[in-house]
Amino acid sequence: MPRSEAVDRGMRLTAFAADIRNEWRAGNRSRLARLVIVVLIAVAVATFVGSIMTGAADASLANVWRWLVGGADQGLSIRDRIIILDIRLPRAVLGLLVGASLAVSGVVMQGLFRNPLADPGLVGVSSGASLGAVLLIVLGTAAFGPLFALFGFYALPVAAFVGGLVTTLLLYRIATRGGQTSIATLLLAGIALGALTGAITGILVFRADDKQLRDLTFWGLGSLAGANWTKILAAAPIILASLAVTPFLARGLNAITLGEAVAFHMGIPVQRLKNIAIVSVAAATGASVAVSGGIGFVGIVVPHLLRLVIGPDHRYLLPASALLGGTLLILADMIARTIVSPAELPIGIVTAFIGAPFFLWILLRGRSNMGL
Amino acid sequence: MINVSNLSVRLGGRPVIHGVFLEALPGALTAIVGPNGSGKTTTLKAISGELSPSSGAIRINGRDLSGLKPWELALMRGVLPQSTVISFPFTVREVVRLGLAAGANADPAAHDRVTAEALEAVDLAGFAGRFYQELSGGEQQRVQLARVLCQISDPVIDGEPRYLLLDEPVSSLDIRHQLGIMQLARKFCERGGGVVAVMHDLNLTAMFADHMVMMKAGKVRANGAPREVLTDETMEAVFGCRMQVGVAPSPHVPFVLPQTASL
Repeated sequence: MPRSEAVDRGMRLTAFAADIRNEWRAGNRSRLARLVIVVLIAVAVATFVGSIMTGAADASLANVWRWLVGGADQGLSIRDRIIILDIRLPRAVLGLLVGASLAVSGVVMQGLFRNPLADPGLVGVSSGASLGAVLLIVLGTAAFGPLFALFGFYALPVAAFVGGLVTTLLLYRIATRGGQTSIATLLLAGIALGALTGAITGILVFRADDKQLRDLTFWGLGSLAGANWTKILAAAPIILASLAVTPFLARGLNAITLGEAVAFHMGIPVQRLKNIAIVSVAAATGASVAVSGGIGFVGIVVPHLLRLVIGPDHRYLLPASALLGGTLLILADMIARTIVSPAELPIGIVTAFIGAPFFLWILLRGRSNMGL
Repeated sequence: MINVSNLSVRLGGRPVIHGVFLEALPGALTAIVGPNGSGKTTTLKAISGELSPSSGAIRINGRDLSGLKPWELALMRGVLPQSTVISFPFTVREVVRLGLAAGANADPAAHDRVTAEALEAVDLAGFAGRFYQELSGGEQQRVQLARVLCQISDPVIDGEPRYLLLDEPVSSLDIRHQLGIMQLARKFCERGGGVVAVMHDLNLTAMFADHMVMMKAGKVRANGAPREVLTDETMEAVFGCRMQVGVAPSPHVPFVLPQTASL
C-alpha cells in the first residue's frame, strides 16, 4: 500500500473515532451501538470457530474441511469428523443458542419489570422451567403420555416452557400493582418460588431411579455436555422464534422503561406488549433449561455490561446481548471442558463463579438506581 | 376540543370523581385546581385514556376516546405525568427522542432539529449528553416535558388541534422555570393547540389560565375565567380556608407575585 494511502486511512479512522466520541458527549450512542454490534459479530464468529478447534482431543479442522468438500482420504479423517461434527459443533451451536436466549430473556424481563436486576434465573423463572422438565423426566410417560404423543421430542422443552410461563405470570401478579413493580417483592417472590420448586424437586428425588437422579443433578448445575443434534433440533425452533419476536418489542420496551402509563401515553398497546414479552421469555428460558439445565447469571451480566457501553436502547441492546451472550457461553463452556481436562465442570459452576461477584459489584455500584 | 360529559371514575370500587363536565378549547389553557384528593389527577388520567370511565363520555376533536387506539391517541395528545423514575442509564437525548418515535414526526432529517428545539424550549440546551438519573427532580421534570414536546411538536396538524395534558408541570421547579414552562404552554395555545394542566399555585394559574376548573371531593365546584372562579366564597367553600382574593398583606410582610416578573 502506498504511504499516502495508509496515512489517509489512518486519518479517516481518527476522524471516525472523534465523531463517535463527540456523539457520545452529545448523548447519542446509536452509531457506537451499531459499531459494537459489528465487532460482536466478528468476535462471536471467531469464538465459535475457536471453540470447535480446541478440546481435550486433537482434531484437525483442516481435515474436516477437506472431508466436507470431498477431497481427502475418507478413512483418515473419520475420527476428526466425529469429534468435530458430532461433538464440538453441536456443543458450540447449543452454546450460542442458549447464551443468546438467556441474555435476551434477561433484557426482555428487565425491560418488562423496569429493573436491571430482574433476571429469569434470579427471580425463579428458570427454577419453574426446570421443575416442569424434572416432572416430565421423573413421572415420565406414565403421567405425561399424551404430551409425548403430541410433541415427540419437543415434550421436554414444552414442559419447561409451561413451568416457566406459570412462574412468570405468578411473579407478575405478585410483584406488579397498578403498573408499578416492586423489585424487592419480585426478588423475594423469586426466593420463595425457588424454595418451593426445590422442595418439589426434593420429593421427586425419592421417586427417581439412578439414571433419573443423574439427570436431576444435571438440571441443578447446568451443562452443555449432552449437546447433540437432536437436542438442538428440539430447542432451536423455540429459541429462534422467541428471539425473532424481540426486535418488534424493542420500541415498546424502550417506552415502558418510563412506566406503563407513559408507554400508553406514547401509543404503545401495553397489555399486548406484556403478553408477548412474558410468553417469549418463558419460551426462550424454558427451551434453554430443557436442553442445558439452570445456567445462571448470563441474563444479568451481559445486558448490564452492554448498557454501560451502548446504553439501554433496546433496538441495539437486544441484538448485542444475543451476540455477547452466545459468545460468553461458548467461552465459559471452553473453560468448563478444558480446566480439569479430561474431566469437565458443569458450565453453571463457571458462570456462577464469574457472575456472582459481578452481581455483587452491580449492587455495590448502583443501589440507589435499582429501586432497592 | 376536549369534551368531558358526566364523567365518573371508580378506583378500586370507590367512586373518585362523579358527574364531571369539562370543556377544554383549542387555543386555551384550561387549569384544574382544587385541594389534595379532589380528583384533579384522576380527571386528567381519564382524559388521557389511562383510566376508563365507569360512566360518562370523553371526546377529543369529536371522536369518542373509547374508540381510539393507543397510537391514535398518541398523535392527538401528549401527557406529562407528575414524576417519572427510570432505572436504566438513559441520556437526556435518548429520553427526549423516545417522544419522537411516538409522534407524527415521520421525517428523520428533522429529528435532530426537533430534539434540539424541545430541549431549548425547556431551558436544557447543552444537557443532551447528561444522564437522566443524575439530574435533579426539576430537571428530570423538564426533560419529560421536552419528550412530550417531541411527541406533539406541532400544535395543529391538518387543521386538527392537538393537546398537552400536564399533571402539575411546575410543581418541582424554581420560580424562573415555573414562569418559563407556563409561557411555553401559553405559546402552544397561541399557535392553536390546547392545554389542560393540573395546577397548585393559584397565582400562577390566575396569571396564565384562560379557563379554570375548581374541584372538590370529586365534583366540579366552580368553572370559568380565573376572575370569576377565584373569589373569597369559592376559596372558603373549596379549600376550607377563609382567604381574601386580591388583598395585599400589611406593608411590613414581604410577598412576591409571579405577575411582577419581567420576562
